[in-house]
Amino acid sequence: MFEGLKNKLGLGKKKNPIPETEAPVPAAVETIPSPQPEEKKAPGFLNKIKTLVVEHEFVLSEKDIEESLFELQMVLLESDVAYPVAEAITEHMKKELVGTHRKLRESADDVVTDALRHAIEKVLGEGFDLVSYIKNHEKPVKILFTGVNGTGKTTSVAKIAHYLQSQGLSVVVGAGDTFRAGAIEQIRVHCERLGIKLIAHQEGADPSAVLYDTVEYAKAHKTDVVLADSAGRFHNRVNLMNQLEKIKRVMKPDLVFYVDEAVAGNDAVIRAEEFEKTVSTDGVILTKVDMDPKGGAAISIAYTIGKPLVFLGVGQGYDDMKPFTPSLIIDEIFGDD
Amino acid sequence: MGLDTLSNSLKDAMKKLAGKTVIDRAAVDELVRDLQRALLSSDVNVKLVMELSKQIKARSLDENLPKGINAREHVLRIVYQELVNLVGKEAEFSLKPQKILMAGLQGSGKTTTTGKLCRYFQRKGLKVGAIGADNFRPGAYAQLETLCKKINVPSYGDPKEKDAVKIVKDGLAALKDVDVVIVDTAGRHALEDDLIDEITEVNAYLKPDHRWLVIDAALGQAARDQAKRFHEAIGIDGVIVTKMDGTAKGGGAMSAVAETQSGIVFIGNGETIDDLERFDPNGFISRLLGMGDLKALVEKAEESINAEDVDVNAMLRGKFTLNDMYKQLEAVQKMGPLKQVLSMLPMGNLNVPSDALDGTADKMKKFRIIMDSMTPQELDEPALINTSRMMRVAKGSGSSVEEVRDLIKYYKMMQKTLKGFRGNRMAMGKMMKQMQKGGMGPMGPM
Repeated sequence: MFEGLKNKLGLGKKKNPIPETEAPVPAAVETIPSPQPEEKKAPGFLNKIKTLVVEHEFVLSEKDIEESLFELQMVLLESDVAYPVAEAITEHMKKELVGTHRKLRESADDVVTDALRHAIEKVLGEGFDLVSYIKNHEKPVKILFTGVNGTGKTTSVAKIAHYLQSQGLSVVVGAGDTFRAGAIEQIRVHCERLGIKLIAHQEGADPSAVLYDTVEYAKAHKTDVVLADSAGRFHNRVNLMNQLEKIKRVMKPDLVFYVDEAVAGNDAVIRAEEFEKTVSTDGVILTKVDMDPKGGAAISIAYTIGKPLVFLGVGQGYDDMKPFTPSLIIDEIFGDD
Repeated sequence: MGLDTLSNSLKDAMKKLAGKTVIDRAAVDELVRDLQRALLSSDVNVKLVMELSKQIKARSLDENLPKGINAREHVLRIVYQELVNLVGKEAEFSLKPQKILMAGLQGSGKTTTTGKLCRYFQRKGLKVGAIGADNFRPGAYAQLETLCKKINVPSYGDPKEKDAVKIVKDGLAALKDVDVVIVDTAGRHALEDDLIDEITEVNAYLKPDHRWLVIDAALGQAARDQAKRFHEAIGIDGVIVTKMDGTAKGGGAMSAVAETQSGIVFIGNGETIDDLERFDPNGFISRLLGMGDLKALVEKAEESINAEDVDVNAMLRGKFTLNDMYKQLEAVQKMGPLKQVLSMLPMGNLNVPSDALDGTADKMKKFRIIMDSMTPQELDEPALINTSRMMRVAKGSGSSVEEVRDLIKYYKMMQKTLKGFRGNRMAMGKMMKQMQKGGMGPMGPM
């Protein structure tokens, strides 16, 4: 995961992403016989500089980093970070870097890497511990899943049901996608395989009614968690978004999880914003992470709606749903190997 | 980020070139930068965008300005030509007996599109059948079967059978009477070697006439690698872009086109089975850039409504009555949601209230029923409708006075919207001209 971003950034290779800022006295470079990259200068060189400018500080100017920032932006874009988000990240880095005094011995590589790490850490947040949320909350905990068509809501509901069950919690699933042909059949088969109680009505039924019944069932049977599937809907369809609001009114979910896919490009930002505006989400589930090792969508969505990532879907098996922790992504991008 | 802002800044950049006799390097640079932003925000591959900008810059500055056209037109033409190159031609296919294999990532919309394709060929008068070879996702065949049943098209599938090739084999036998066989497959992605092997085997057995790759309009930079792998495995000869009714721009599909050296065949743009249209490069480009697309609208209108259905001229002259609205609602019912239709119109700077557009089909139906209870005079002169008439209409149509009021409110909103339309004379004049020509200028009205 995220190897693409890492390789492109050259973080593994320790390539210096800031060209030339490292050599304030280029003439001196030629005197070094060693062909090593500049930042790993032979001690002789450093010593020479030291004697010239002991502890001298070097101020980064906008011009110094402009080119590298442009390259960084391209790398982010190639990794599917949406355009406005990539722009915001580079802008943020520019602010952080320009005018900073850095010690000459400090490599530009480290400075940029640190800045980027801070930027991405800030964007991704701390994640969300669902199991302890459920344990410390009045039961049943009702979770509604929503998102656009084809992102993997139904599959995610099944996987998360399986995960919660393995954590010792009892789960009931509500087949709230009454629109898409075959959707009820899909969740029914999943639940049968996993031995999970499913509440379903007919295709075309009112999803609010199904999910209300599911909540009632959970209350009557003292079930810990209600997972409510819902039909995929586009955020630009007011009537479907109204239906979602009605579902929310009727089942009163404790958490609304927004499901989107790792392979989504710029639209990830637009739709996340719209869903956030209309139903206000509490967490994000990113699916199909195994499809695209670049993972820019995680950054885009987290940046846009500022809600924690809860799970990452990483494969076709029921176990392929990993609770998100920041290190999962940060280490992938910045880890040493 | 507002796409309107983007297309406006693109328009501004264009304006700066207007009237110039010499191509201004700074203006071209600015234009290219805005173009880059537009295309990158639409998920077009970064490398493709960079190549395109280089081409446009070089050609704009190096090529001599042809006599008789101004700098703006010259640059515009280059931009357009390069974009057409990038988008590619529509992929061809013929209406003969054939076999089509569908391929794509999970959740891209293969099964829904298979249903829509059945409908498409059925409407063209061919006998169609579908094979559901997705034996992995639970409910996949139930979905396909439901879709096919709705349009009376035979389908074959066996969710319990593990071998996709066997399903295809049995399916071909079961559907031996049909002309066109469409084979739906399980979603898979480039890194799943065993699944790529599976579709390679299905392809080898089926020997389809076409192998179409289904791409979600929202797919980002990953499109390139994914398409590459599918192309290597089975040789893609056409791309279908789905979910174009959302806000995604479909730039990922262009990476797929470039990678497979094929073209786009169809665009899926709605949730009903009829929401599939042939690819039109002009329309696609307009959308990538966030500008209106006239050509698709004209074509769509031609297909589903007769000329006398909507008197556009009368509407624009200022007489917009309930009668017109009635016709309009009828037409819209055939054409799909008004919002979708209006989004194709070149009126980027026109703010249409979103609740004016988001009439659900039900609401529209209700409106028509209410209007059926009005007298011809009322329909022609809506100002006549006072409270007592409203009550009569409400009783006659089995609705409430509130609903009749709603209708009048909606009518007034539409009237106002059209007035705004008229105010925008330049765009309108151009649009009318284009409509009469039935074609579209290089990039639509700017």
